[in-house]
Amino acid sequence: MFNDLKVSAFLAARSIQRGGRGRNAMYIVIIALVLTNMIFLPSVIMGAMDVYYEQTIDYISSDVIIKPPEDVRYIDDVETLLATVNRVPGVVRASARYPMAGSIDFEDKTVAMEIDAFNPRDETEVTKFHKHITEGDFLGSGDRDQILVGSLVAGNKDDIGEFYASLGGATVGDVVTVRYANSVVREYRIKGIINTKSYQADYMVFVTKDEMDAVTGTGGAQATEVLIKTVTNEDAPLVKKRILQFGVGEDVRTWEEALPDVVSESIESFAIINMISVFGGLVIAVVLIFIMTTIKTFNNRKQIGILKAIGLKKGIIINSYVMQVIFICLIGTVLGSLLLGMMVLYFTTFPIEFPDGNVTPIVTWSMIIENTALLFISSAVAGFIPAWRVVNEGILEAIRGG
Amino acid sequence: MDDYISAEGLRKVYTMGMVEVRAINGVSFSIRKGDFVGITGSSGSGKSTLLHMLGLLDPPSEGTIAIDGTDVIPLSEAEKGVFRLSRFGFIFQDYALVPELTAEENVSLVAMARGDNADSYARRARELLSRVGLGDRTTHLPSELSGGEQQRVAIARALINKPEILFADEPCANLDSTNSRAVLDLFREINRTMNLTVIMVSHESWHIEYCDRVVRLHDGKIEEDFRPEKRDLTITP
Repeated sequence: MFNDLKVSAFLAARSIQRGGRGRNAMYIVIIALVLTNMIFLPSVIMGAMDVYYEQTIDYISSDVIIKPPEDVRYIDDVETLLATVNRVPGVVRASARYPMAGSIDFEDKTVAMEIDAFNPRDETEVTKFHKHITEGDFLGSGDRDQILVGSLVAGNKDDIGEFYASLGGATVGDVVTVRYANSVVREYRIKGIINTKSYQADYMVFVTKDEMDAVTGTGGAQATEVLIKTVTNEDAPLVKKRILQFGVGEDVRTWEEALPDVVSESIESFAIINMISVFGGLVIAVVLIFIMTTIKTFNNRKQIGILKAIGLKKGIIINSYVMQVIFICLIGTVLGSLLLGMMVLYFTTFPIEFPDGNVTPIVTWSMIIENTALLFISSAVAGFIPAWRVVNEGILEAIRGG
Repeated sequence: MDDYISAEGLRKVYTMGMVEVRAINGVSFSIRKGDFVGITGSSGSGKSTLLHMLGLLDPPSEGTIAIDGTDVIPLSEAEKGVFRLSRFGFIFQDYALVPELTAEENVSLVAMARGDNADSYARRARELLSRVGLGDRTTHLPSELSGGEQQRVAIARALINKPEILFADEPCANLDSTNSRAVLDLFREINRTMNLTVIMVSHESWHIEYCDRVVRLHDGKIEEDFRPEKRDLTITP
């Protein structure tokens, strides 16, 4: 058995070394491109998903989020809840959000939307809005007559191509009128413009919690969610467990659990696109290898017949063709991996600009191993079948038919 | 001297559409060890079919073949493969050398497949190539050799496993008369010096002068089985 493999390897090595180098080089390049194609698109999709997850954590839900129990609109006694959560090991800080529906007027534009409120000191420890103020400043604790506006809400003078209703180019220092759902009307000076590149985050406006208390009047503002930042590298499900152990009765979710259904559906859709892309790549590889081996074995029919006649086992001959395919795949995957590495390096230095942010392709070892294994197995099968067919032909048929 | 190869009642029937072709139709004969047997006959007489049956490449429709006392017909395909590898040498009209292997590698291949020691088969391959007059061309690829030289490599390949019987199917069909004579001289020398049984198919009448015995076939039957008048064949150096 080992000797048979040795003879197959010898025949395969000589065939690669001395037979049709240009043709083999072409096959290797095609396999390299197939592997690149199989991995690159998924890596970009994975990069885009990673950007989305990062934005969700940085602006929308943080690492863990607490919402009121089902069928309850507000969180009861949020101050006590914040004090409790801030004591939980692994929690950096919790920040409550106090929204109220309303509309914002600026010049002749009106945008109907939810106005959110937070405690600026808590918020800077929990989200990254304060790091993405492109104009002006972040809100301060004592700010009462100022508002922070997302760049998509502020809009542009020329609003052609804007997807959302905007204030038509409001800038820092402009005064906007906010009409709250409880009929309170306030005028605010825009203190800062947020630009995070996240559609969701950039279509938000914020006032301070003190201001929302004043707008709400008796009883103060009511929170609908509490965002919780965990210590770096802390396991979110573990922190969630600890929070529940501290007696919190609200709906506690990790950021992954809090992702809307539409995101899970998008992930599934991307997975299908990935599968189609991988399948397409594999089909190209299989067809290529099949044609390559078919041509080679049919051209060598007479030679194969005579090798069988002089006593070489079928397995030796078949394996020599399969080994040639495996060798081409091996060099092709090495070349493909190098090519992929260069592409990832380039797009890490110059990220791909997506509407939701700059995307860097993410290539994991599992992606490389899975796709390489798929490529090897399918190519080996594609190489084996034509070799097996020709080798199983009768000796005399092969000798006469060649 | 005992019979080394014995064939009894061999028949080979091919069906070509509605027509039944009797390629070999009741052939019985035996061959002694060390004989140089020529099988001749006109085209379609069944000479190659007979050689293929004796060489275990094609089973007969009827009849028995015994080689050195072994009934070879019931052997499985794999057993026949081992039998061919260890006891037979084959030379075909087309040399069918592996184009990516040098002369030495082509010769070594069957010994390598048999699992022989690498040093021993490399040395033997070089010796055989020297013996067939290609000692200085061991590293040449088939594409760098003439037809006659390629056939000589094929002969060396057939001899590497020290076979007991050498089957040659029209070995000179693609060669000019000079190269043909060189190849036949070589067969004769091998036959004499190695006591190798040689069974050669040829349609050239002048080839019979190299044979100890000639079996002439006609329409699948033995028409003539004779020992040609011997003359002194000078081995071409």
